[in-house]
Amino acid sequence: SLSFKMERKTIDLDQGWDYMQTGITKLKRILEGLPEPQFDSEQYMMLYTTIYNMCTQKPPHDYSQQLYDKYREAFEEYIHSTVLPALREKHDEYMLRELVKRWSNHKVMVRWLSRFFYYLDRYFIARRSLPPLNEVGLTCFRDLVYNELHSKVKDAVIALVDKEREGEQIDRALLKNVLDIYVEIGMGQMERYEEDFESFMLLDSASYYSRKASSWIQEDSCPDYMLKSEECLKKERERVAHYLHSSSEPKLVEKVQHELLVVYANQLLEKEHSGCRALLRDDKVDDLSRMYRLYHKIVKGLEPVANIFKQHVTAEGNALVQQAEDTATNHAANTASVQEQVLIRKVIELHDKYMVYVVECFQNHTLFHKALKEAFEIFCNKTVAGSSSAELLATFCDNILKKGGSEKLSDEAIEDTLEKVVKLLAYISDKDLFAEFYRKKLARRLLFDRSANDDHERSILTKLKQQCGGQFTSKMEGMVTDLTLARENQNSFEEYLGNNPAANPGIDLTVTVLTTGFWPSYKSFDINLPAEMVKCVEVFKGFYETKTKHRKLTWIYSLGTCHLNGKFDTKPIELVVSTYQAAVLLLFNTTDKLSYTDILTQLNLSHEDLVRLLHSLSCARYKILLKEPSTKTVSQSDSFEFNSKFTDRMRRIKIPLPPVDERKKVVEDVDKDRRYAIDAAIVRIMKSRKVLGHQQLVSECVEQLSRMFKPDIKAIKKRMEDLITRDYLERDKENPNMFRYLA
Amino acid sequence: MRETVKLISMEGFEFVIDREAAMVSQTIRSMLTSPGGFSESKEGVVTFPDISTTILEKICQYFYWSLQYSRGKETEFHIEPELTLELMMAANYLHT
Repeated sequence: SLSFKMERKTIDLDQGWDYMQTGITKLKRILEGLPEPQFDSEQYMMLYTTIYNMCTQKPPHDYSQQLYDKYREAFEEYIHSTVLPALREKHDEYMLRELVKRWSNHKVMVRWLSRFFYYLDRYFIARRSLPPLNEVGLTCFRDLVYNELHSKVKDAVIALVDKEREGEQIDRALLKNVLDIYVEIGMGQMERYEEDFESFMLLDSASYYSRKASSWIQEDSCPDYMLKSEECLKKERERVAHYLHSSSEPKLVEKVQHELLVVYANQLLEKEHSGCRALLRDDKVDDLSRMYRLYHKIVKGLEPVANIFKQHVTAEGNALVQQAEDTATNHAANTASVQEQVLIRKVIELHDKYMVYVVECFQNHTLFHKALKEAFEIFCNKTVAGSSSAELLATFCDNILKKGGSEKLSDEAIEDTLEKVVKLLAYISDKDLFAEFYRKKLARRLLFDRSANDDHERSILTKLKQQCGGQFTSKMEGMVTDLTLARENQNSFEEYLGNNPAANPGIDLTVTVLTTGFWPSYKSFDINLPAEMVKCVEVFKGFYETKTKHRKLTWIYSLGTCHLNGKFDTKPIELVVSTYQAAVLLLFNTTDKLSYTDILTQLNLSHEDLVRLLHSLSCARYKILLKEPSTKTVSQSDSFEFNSKFTDRMRRIKIPLPPVDERKKVVEDVDKDRRYAIDAAIVRIMKSRKVLGHQQLVSECVEQLSRMFKPDIKAIKKRMEDLITRDYLERDKENPNMFRYLA
Repeated sequence: MRETVKLISMEGFEFVIDREAAMVSQTIRSMLTSPGGFSESKEGVVTFPDISTTILEKICQYFYWSLQYSRGKETEFHIEPELTLELMMAANYLHT
């Protein structure tokens, strides 16, 4: 066959272009919808070949540049002659439809022509660094059609969007197609969409919702307003999904949120009868959940809600405290203490109730946990009828744990309550005060066998340990252990007695040895014991020295119990009394009648103690002694006689001593311990910092001690002065506000 | 859609080959995948007034060889030296 090149005739530019023009015309007719058959493969190849030949001819017949230009001009011509006029004569929705049609046609035209002219894309454009054919085609439309119309189009689209917002049906597919043009015309960048459409749409949306909000906020209740807002946000998201570009979603949502929820946040939340406060009051859980959902996505949106929540809980708590306080002032002491216990229960219930709110309505958000905590910290530290919350809580525990306290409750219920009590402790700032009251009451339960259930006792200690650390419960645990050891010890004692008949106390004796450090401190007077008891003490001392020579025994007679056989006329009755009471009664074994002074001298007790004792034996329920005169109270001029005529239907009776008010002592003890704790904290801080300013030292001190109590600033200052006199610290000579550690 | 295309050389020789083979040529592929499609009778018939029969034959062979090669059958495609230049130009035209 002959050479490829020689067969080819040179095509002249005009000639070649005329041929191309027929193809372009055919294409235009197809696009216009005129009756025109489709291209067939022969025609296609002919058009391609024509371009190919004109580009591969030898110069000066290499027409690449000219063809490149004519390619562009073909679009320009078509746009000017046909496309633009068609668009200019239409408006609004009709214009939008026309635009979509023309854009679609244009893309088809670009696709066809760029295939015919394809050879230019292979080498020519690269060699001259020119835009490829596809881009040239799209740029024509952008520069001639888009640039002229985008603003009008944007207006028409926004008008339809607002129409839809007002509830009318619109052609969503049309809008999607129009907005796709903005995106596509950006040719890879979102700038056209963002600047020529989105920014205006956002402004319009903001102003639309601003108008709506300003009238709704006046007319609607808070729940209704929120419902509307939620609905609007939902609809706007749908709008994005249906025809806006996805990148518009966060921006649009932000605008809507701003106009509906941020601008009017205060008015909405503070609405008098339906706002946040009212919803909390009326337990409107659904509405509050909605409020959370709406404000959760807004920066700092939840803060005012959390604040109102905190105020509400605080108010409820304060009301409970006030109720208890009022009851206490209006009623007798008995009802008052019952009311105080009721208060603790109610506070627990309040906590349970609002914790559910925090978890469910407010999705466990930290802001609300914090609000709840702060609210409880406010009212849980209030005093009720002279009792601190620490004391109330300790008494509450005592009531649950003592015999006859909560036997009606199931084990589970008790465990549950103890758990909740420990949780409440977290809110109380004077935890050390609680510990001391608790310890005192625990001691009484243990020593007088008044504990209902050993497991519960251990269980609460475990919980307290978990919450407050080992140091908090170490003494209490020691107390419980002591009792176990004491039992073993008693067994050894009885064995000893068995082996040493000479060491016979003469009465049944049980001794409980306590480790001093663990137990609360008890006063113990040097009462003159009756001879029988003196012997017991000596016998036990003898035994104890066989076990250890390094420990000193101190006897706390005030805690002892005695069983006396009262030989009354009618029948003998066993009397269960305290050691002190026994000492008083035994005096009457030798003498029938004794004056107050006699007893005082013989026993060597204080007036306070003696009056208490004699009252319990002569003026209370069981009159073992007859008092002369038989007035209701004991005075120092009274005299006493054994009441042989006494009787009771029981064979054994317990004669209780009214409990001494331990509160004062507890507070004193705790204050003392606090002084030591503050001293230790100051020294610790100064040792590590060496030099520190006054303010800083105080604040660090407060922080270190906060786990156990809230230290009084004055107390800290006082301790600092004390430490200075004791040469632990000194003031800086130049700056009296600076302190230095003295090694 | 037809499974074959007909390629006609300048001398009028008709080569009926598989569509898949013909699409090894980007030019032919573009044409066959154009929007709109073609009428049944005229579809896939292309005349190459500038390509001789020998060259067109070689090209068709090349199409098949290329398919096989891409499927793993790595053989050599032999080109008679005297055909090289024309073949290259045809290949350029067909974007193969």
